[in-house]
Amino acid sequence: MNELEHRLSSKFPKARIISETIGNIIGLIVLAVLFWLDYYFGWPIWANWILIAVLLFAVAGTIWSFIEPHYLYRSWRYQISNEYLQLSYGVINKEWVTVPMSKIQSVSTSQGPIMRVYQLRSIKVETMGSSHVIPALEEQVALELRAKIAELAKLKEVDE
Amino acid sequence: MMRYHPLTILYRIYQLIKNSLILGILLFVVKRNSDFWLFEYGRYLFVAGVLLRLIYIVVSWFVETYEWDDRTFQLKKGLFVKHTSTIPFSKIQNVTRHTTLFHKLFGLTSLTFETAMDGDDDAITFQVVSNQHAAFLLELVNIEESHMSKLDEKESEKESEQTQQEQEVNEAENKVETDLVTHFEPTNLDLLKASFTSLSFLAIIPIVTGLYDIIGPLLPDSDHYQGVFYQIINSRWLIIMLSVVGVVIAIIIGIIRTFSRYGKYRISSSATHIYIERGLLDETHFAIEKQKIQGLEIEQTLLKRIFGLAEVKLISSANTQAEDYVVSVNSLYPFLPINRAYQLMEELLPDYYVEESMNRLTKISLYMKLLKPSWFWIVVTAGLFYFKPTIFQIDAAWWLLSLLLLLIVIMNRILDYLHTKYLISEDQLQWWHGGLTSRMFITKRRRVIEISYSQSILQRFFKLASISTMNRSIPARIETINDVPLDFAKTFQHWYLQRQKDTTYQQNG
Repeated sequence: MNELEHRLSSKFPKARIISETIGNIIGLIVLAVLFWLDYYFGWPIWANWILIAVLLFAVAGTIWSFIEPHYLYRSWRYQISNEYLQLSYGVINKEWVTVPMSKIQSVSTSQGPIMRVYQLRSIKVETMGSSHVIPALEEQVALELRAKIAELAKLKEVDE
Repeated sequence: MMRYHPLTILYRIYQLIKNSLILGILLFVVKRNSDFWLFEYGRYLFVAGVLLRLIYIVVSWFVETYEWDDRTFQLKKGLFVKHTSTIPFSKIQNVTRHTTLFHKLFGLTSLTFETAMDGDDDAITFQVVSNQHAAFLLELVNIEESHMSKLDEKESEKESEQTQQEQEVNEAENKVETDLVTHFEPTNLDLLKASFTSLSFLAIIPIVTGLYDIIGPLLPDSDHYQGVFYQIINSRWLIIMLSVVGVVIAIIIGIIRTFSRYGKYRISSSATHIYIERGLLDETHFAIEKQKIQGLEIEQTLLKRIFGLAEVKLISSANTQAEDYVVSVNSLYPFLPINRAYQLMEELLPDYYVEESMNRLTKISLYMKLLKPSWFWIVVTAGLFYFKPTIFQIDAAWWLLSLLLLLIVIMNRILDYLHTKYLISEDQLQWWHGGLTSRMFITKRRRVIEISYSQSILQRFFKLASISTMNRSIPARIETINDVPLDFAKTFQHWYLQRQKDTTYQQNG
């Protein structure tokens, strides 16, 4: 099958890495505080083991968070037609999703502080049973897409 | 504006007594001399709770009202915060009439209209209602539904363009507007088979232990009857006799249980609805509009497969996980012979057809299934390795258990490989999957509200994929089969993209 038409904004990896790094730094600080508490109050040995395990995961996750956004950006594609919204994404597990426009119940855009710096917006599409997020589009593209999906999703099938 | 039947109060009090009886006995009889703070304060709390509930039951009867017009029900409730909800008849997915012993005593019944709405107000329940009024309410909703079917006709016409046969079916449907056709009533042989497959004779175990708990403390002297016990042990004949009697009693109890649950069972249908009636003492009448059925499921447990039986379930958009039903309401009949199950599906829903020959997985899928790491087994084995439990005084128990689990996991995967079969035809999708318990899922393209397929790293290597569908239900119903060829996944997506063929859009969005 041919690749879908559109990609995310090329600023996505940068924005994602920055926001994830901030999150990771906060997480590591919390972990450091826990280690200090462990040392200071002499927590039982199993608490120590759990903290070490969490630290290992946190370090692995931090390293991964620097690698993943590039690959995620490369894997992300979306496409809309009059009838369907199609998405495909994923680094380790690849996923292809097809949602009929008539089943979409709401569409919204949102923007966090870092995305505002980069003038990006994410789009969230909700159906009766699921929700999908297109993580980062240029502001203008996102607003147009939202308007278009909202317009196309207005049609409802007789079935309901 | 209507109040609910006055006996609703009595019914709710009866339910309150039923639900709090065990706790009450525990607090005031079994542990009456206990000074433990939990029981001490628990008694006060219990009394306060029951009293409050009683007051609430009485007061709420005065506050809760309902009314209706041509198209909607309006329900009002709330003591301090007034709450009004409006439910259009067209949103009603299925109707259940449940007549318990309590209702029979007064010649009344209960009625539940389930809707596809999410949240607390997703059903309209008349806990106690007279038979005439129940009939009136059913009529009220049905009349509206026949209005509805005019709207739907456009769609069914469109469908039937595909084959002439279907058109004939539609015509036939229009002719027999109100005729009820009975499709299935279990014979005694069916019921006997059912009572063995359901393992209901094992029900004797909780019954006996329950009896012992009640009678045990009343028995005078345990020494006294230890003597009797030794005498029994010593005489081989008595043991044989007793176990034979025990087995016979167990089987009889199992049969009685099965007959009271599944005896007097009738599946019938009209042009637009499917009706299921069941139960000897607790009667349940269930009705669902065919139009509202999202798909079908056939489930076979290992034991049922051996006996050639299966359970057929209707997938509907309403939330049918009702609390106090013994048998799940959307199940057609849990012990149908498999061929009869296929036949019944086609009879009830002429849109659906069951294809016996389907695509099977290739050997590559088997390798994939066997190579996939079992996280469950790894975690359990790690746990067993760490704790090294000794069971039955066997020191090596931990790795024996791990090995046993591994064997079960592998067997389950091989069975899954053997059971997986799939087929997409014109406007219908049908697949079997599952290991020890295998399930068939069948639905129409226009009923599927979303699809996806995915590939893990290993699946990419073998050029395989997992495919999923989503159907309307609460919560949304997601069905997946794993390790089909990637080409089929693409065909599947392509098939879904042709969906407009089966659907028509409403005039005004």
